[in-house]
Amino acid sequence: MDFRFDLIMEYLPFFLRGTLYTIGISLLGVIFGTALGLLIGLGKMMKNKLLAFPFLLYISFFRGTPFIVQIFIIHFGVVPAIIGTTNGIAAGIIGLSLNSAAYIAEIFRAGIQSIDRGQMEAARSLGMTHTQAMRHVILPQAFKRMIPPLGNEFIVLLKESAITALVTVPEIMYWGRAMQGKYYRVWEPYLTAAVIYFILTLTISFLLSRLEKRLATE
Amino acid sequence: MIKVEKLKKSFGANEVLKDINAHIKQQEVVVVIGPSGSGKSTFLRCLNLLETITAGHVLIEGVDITDKKTDINKIRTEVGMVFQQFNLFPHKTVLENIMLSPLKVKKVEVSKAKEKALELLRKVGLEDKANAYPDSLSGGQKQRVAIARALAMQPKIMLFDEPTSALDPEMVGEVLEVMKQLAREGMTMVVVTHEMGFAREVGDRVLFMDGGYIVEENVPNELFDNPQHERTKAFLSKVL
Ligand SMILES: Nc1ncnc2c1ncn2[C@@H]1O[C@H](COP(=O)(O)OP(=O)(O)O)[C@@H](O)[C@H]1O
Ligand SMILES: [Mg+2]
Repeated sequence: MDFRFDLIMEYLPFFLRGTLYTIGISLLGVIFGTALGLLIGLGKMMKNKLLAFPFLLYISFFRGTPFIVQIFIIHFGVVPAIIGTTNGIAAGIIGLSLNSAAYIAEIFRAGIQSIDRGQMEAARSLGMTHTQAMRHVILPQAFKRMIPPLGNEFIVLLKESAITALVTVPEIMYWGRAMQGKYYRVWEPYLTAAVIYFILTLTISFLLSRLEKRLATE
Repeated sequence: MIKVEKLKKSFGANEVLKDINAHIKQQEVVVVIGPSGSGKSTFLRCLNLLETITAGHVLIEGVDITDKKTDINKIRTEVGMVFQQFNLFPHKTVLENIMLSPLKVKKVEVSKAKEKALELLRKVGLEDKANAYPDSLSGGQKQRVAIARALAMQPKIMLFDEPTSALDPEMVGEVLEVMKQLAREGMTMVVVTHEMGFAREVGDRVLFMDGGYIVEENVPNELFDNPQHERTKAFLSKVL
């Protein structure tokens, strides 16, 4: 078996641009997913079961169906219904955001519920509303505990983002498939893609453990 | 000041408060004693609606807090509470702990809130800890900060739920000292405690609770030296 490094070199600019797309859509996905996840997590925790139900359903749906199915529905159904045409990048970002929101909602819920009940009681006994207590007392503490699971979710999301290649987002895997189609080669494109993903996830893990250490000593 | 009428509280099928009636007057220090599980904490927590009340009424300065129209957040600013476990906010400094509620709830100016917080810290003897985080304080110091934090809202009534029970014995005195000073200044206080010395010295009245009822109430010396009910006698013989 001959391994064609020259082909990898030829495609490297595409892979590097693809890497930027991968990082970009994953970052946007986790940012929107965090904002949405907070709302959904708080929604699911509402005492009124009827009001909480839609949020419960949302979480169950996005956790209980494959991401590839979700992204196809969004790409071929939802996005055209809104803007009249398909748009892979929009679908990719929306899909990753909606999907990660479901997981992040659970991270938020676990984080909030891990804070001692006495904190909420003390805040309320001082006259704060539930919202004030959440904002100034519970969430700042919960957020610190949520950083490790949020980091893991980012890693999962980054890997999941490879699926957006199937809806024409020009990220890493997209160029891997393009390279395979052009040269009828398998090892070069996919090993290259694997190495890039691996470097990305290792880097995030490393940054996360640094952050956790810093927070622990704070 | 506080009127409790036919108060009942159940957790599911478990009726914890069965029929509580009490009247706490302005500037009075009322001490609540009784065996563990008798409903003392629940009673106290009903007074600022940390527990929802199953039946009966609680009136604070004539306002029925069980009335749905009552703004409970406003009532709570007038009723301070000190917990057994301190419940300081660990992500905030001592000063920030004390200033948080005046700033966010009462919208006091930062400079005024800070001035008041420092004054309260002086009062509880912890001025030098203003910028410390709660984790670096001893139990006694934490509880004194918690008292200062409650006082920062300038409450008319203070509720204490076993404020010294989580403390090492050598730290009990410093917290009781702050509470005695408060009592001398005329604060209306309801104190759940096992500190019988404190009850005798500072209490105007002692309520003995058992099984969800106030079984007996009297001035401290009478209740301790001359208990009327068997259950009071049995309890006192164990703790005195
Ligand atoms: N949140 C709660 N849910 C269910 N049961 C409770 C709750 N809080 C207290 N209880 C029950 O109420 C009873 C009285 O508790 P409490 O008021 O804490 O007693 P005390 O403070 O006198 O020790 C206990 O049997 C306790 O198990
Ligand atoms: Mg108790």
